[in-house]
Amino acid sequence: MIAIEELCIQYPDRSYPAIDCLTETIEGGEVIVLTGPSGCGKSTLCRALAGFIPEMIPAKVSGEITVDGESVWTADPARIATRLGLIQQDPDAQICTLNVWQEVAFGPENLCLPPDEVAARVEQCLAFVGITHLAERTTTTLSGGEKQRLAIASILAMAPETILLDEPTANLDPEGAQAVFNLLRELRDQEGRTLIVVEHRLAPLLPLSPRVLVMNKGGIVTRRATRQHEDLVALGLRANWLRADWDLDLPAPGKRGEIAPLRVEDLTFGYDGTPLLDRLSITVEPGEILGIIGPNGGGKTTLLRLIAGLEKPIAGRIVRNRESVLGYLFQHPHQQIFERTVRGEFAIEGVISDESLRRSLDAANLSGLGSVAPLSLSLGEQRRLTLATTLVRDPDLLLLDEPFIGQDRANVAWIIAKILAARAKGAVTLLVSHDIPLVNSLCDRLLYLGAESIIGDPRTVSARLQTMGKDAFTSGYWEGETR
Amino acid sequence: MIPRVSYSMGEKGLHRASPEANLLLLLGFLTAVLATPGVMVKLGTLALVFILAALSGERLRAFLRSTRFVLIFAAFLFVAQVISIREGETLFSIGLTITDQGLLFGAQMALRFLVILSSSMLFVMVTDPDRFAHSLIRLGIPYRYGFILVLALRFLPFFRQELKTVREAQQVRGVSPSIRNFSGLRKAIHYTFLPVLVSGLTRVDSIAISMKGRCFGLHPRRTTSQESHWGRMDWIVVGLFLLLIVITIVARRYTWP
Repeated sequence: MIAIEELCIQYPDRSYPAIDCLTETIEGGEVIVLTGPSGCGKSTLCRALAGFIPEMIPAKVSGEITVDGESVWTADPARIATRLGLIQQDPDAQICTLNVWQEVAFGPENLCLPPDEVAARVEQCLAFVGITHLAERTTTTLSGGEKQRLAIASILAMAPETILLDEPTANLDPEGAQAVFNLLRELRDQEGRTLIVVEHRLAPLLPLSPRVLVMNKGGIVTRRATRQHEDLVALGLRANWLRADWDLDLPAPGKRGEIAPLRVEDLTFGYDGTPLLDRLSITVEPGEILGIIGPNGGGKTTLLRLIAGLEKPIAGRIVRNRESVLGYLFQHPHQQIFERTVRGEFAIEGVISDESLRRSLDAANLSGLGSVAPLSLSLGEQRRLTLATTLVRDPDLLLLDEPFIGQDRANVAWIIAKILAARAKGAVTLLVSHDIPLVNSLCDRLLYLGAESIIGDPRTVSARLQTMGKDAFTSGYWEGETR
Repeated sequence: MIPRVSYSMGEKGLHRASPEANLLLLLGFLTAVLATPGVMVKLGTLALVFILAALSGERLRAFLRSTRFVLIFAAFLFVAQVISIREGETLFSIGLTITDQGLLFGAQMALRFLVILSSSMLFVMVTDPDRFAHSLIRLGIPYRYGFILVLALRFLPFFRQELKTVREAQQVRGVSPSIRNFSGLRKAIHYTFLPVLVSGLTRVDSIAISMKGRCFGLHPRRTTSQESHWGRMDWIVVGLFLLLIVITIVARRYTWP
């Protein structure tokens, strides 16, 4: 049993608490879905439960958390980990070794289990998550989905009673996300573990009969045990965190000066002799929004990098107006941050006056964070910061790589508004996203990059993907999420 | 300027030797270049490093590319020694006096540097860091220190990738400062090293948290589930080590040039 009593956590550089007097009890065998808007304290709560705050992540704490009667404040996090395993949002950040087999064995070896027992657990957990065939692979060569399964297997191998999963599907393609949801179902049905899952997509978790805890501003605002989806949707929309169907009315694309279409002609590219893009040809007109979807490792980011000139094609060419102003939002926002303060990031783009900075921050839902270190922001906040600074340049070629990850409904709406504003000015926008319903609503055309490339209007591409058995990439597949 | 060194999986040559044997060979190389006089043994040792690299499947061109920075620095060391040492017989004078002692010391210094760096790089390229950590633990080194080494080896390719990404981000944001003046140089350092450093430290924190979350450090000892099998290649490597030691003793005894 996990007992949280009047828990308050405040990070050193913030003027408000990340967790504000939170009290909750989680019984053994329960399935908890922790949800709520960006920055509401979900990840902080997970880290506190795992004993990482304040032992390894400095913060001012008060209140109490006990796991099976033992306080996490006084116990070594390594000791807490025998009972409670945390699977973090970024699987890359939790891989400790270079080989898949050794990675899964790492935990049991630390538990001093006999070598035979270690080997048995590794084999069992690799089989459970379906990656036995990867046992001898180097961890750096795995795809995002494979890394996420590896992270789950690595925690399972230590057999903790409680497993915490912090947005386990955030970086996965729709098929990978579905596989993780199936795994969770098996964990509940076969193993009877206590599961605490931070997640925005609720529909796939409903068969687990979860108790949903909705967080906001560091506290739990609603507790609801339900299998009724309508109930959750109403709750989520009211709390302004659930992604809804975006029935968008796209404005007519604008024209701006001499903006030429972006032309990709017979583009061929690959890494280490493995072809990734094979004679791809597309033309994107001014004001058009092209959505790019497909499996992890399918070439979506690579296409953006080629267009931005960060990679050189093996064959073919990219024709774009040399005068065009490029705005490129990387998938990992921290890589585009250079200054020590949020204000400094805007200063690079020429935003210096207090008033214009305040307006920019307010619009991006980053109010009052001007003097904060950008890298201390949450991933969702960092993404909005980099998008806001990118837009200051008023780009006419906008390359957006997964801008919606870690954003709640209100922030997604802000990003959509910015994309539509760019469209109205005639900018060419290429949008990579795993949010299938959203790209179907927002984009004029979709480009699917997988074993084969498909381009067309969203309806045509969805129909084609359905005939190929790629249902998870069609918006119809995720309809249950919002209806 | 970060050398392109990281472990690569392979089946040939030193890849088949155990980490203990490869470590022994590295010690052999270091002994040979640090304890012998003259340049003959050092040249021979350098040749052996490159032959073993080629036999281990590290294509010579790729290996040379990896050691490019080392070669440039070794050349700089050589030139610095040659022009700064005045002792010995003057060979010729072209504004600067070049002596035989200068050439000899320069060659010795450059070769020492080359062998130390290239043999260490070869060791990193052919030795699986995880297996190496387990070997160190088997040899009695506390496992916490063993894993510090593993993490250090893991971070070399990470920093290289991160530096590349930071430069790309500068290109995209148009913040590549000119380094022709002091202010530009200061900005370049600020915009390059700060993000790489912060990113590296963030990654260190994440991995430390992840290791704790996997019960690292819970017990004074930990299981080593990887068996080490001493094979034919290990004996060959031990033979090479002994050969290097014998050559070192003989070279010292008879003062080989």
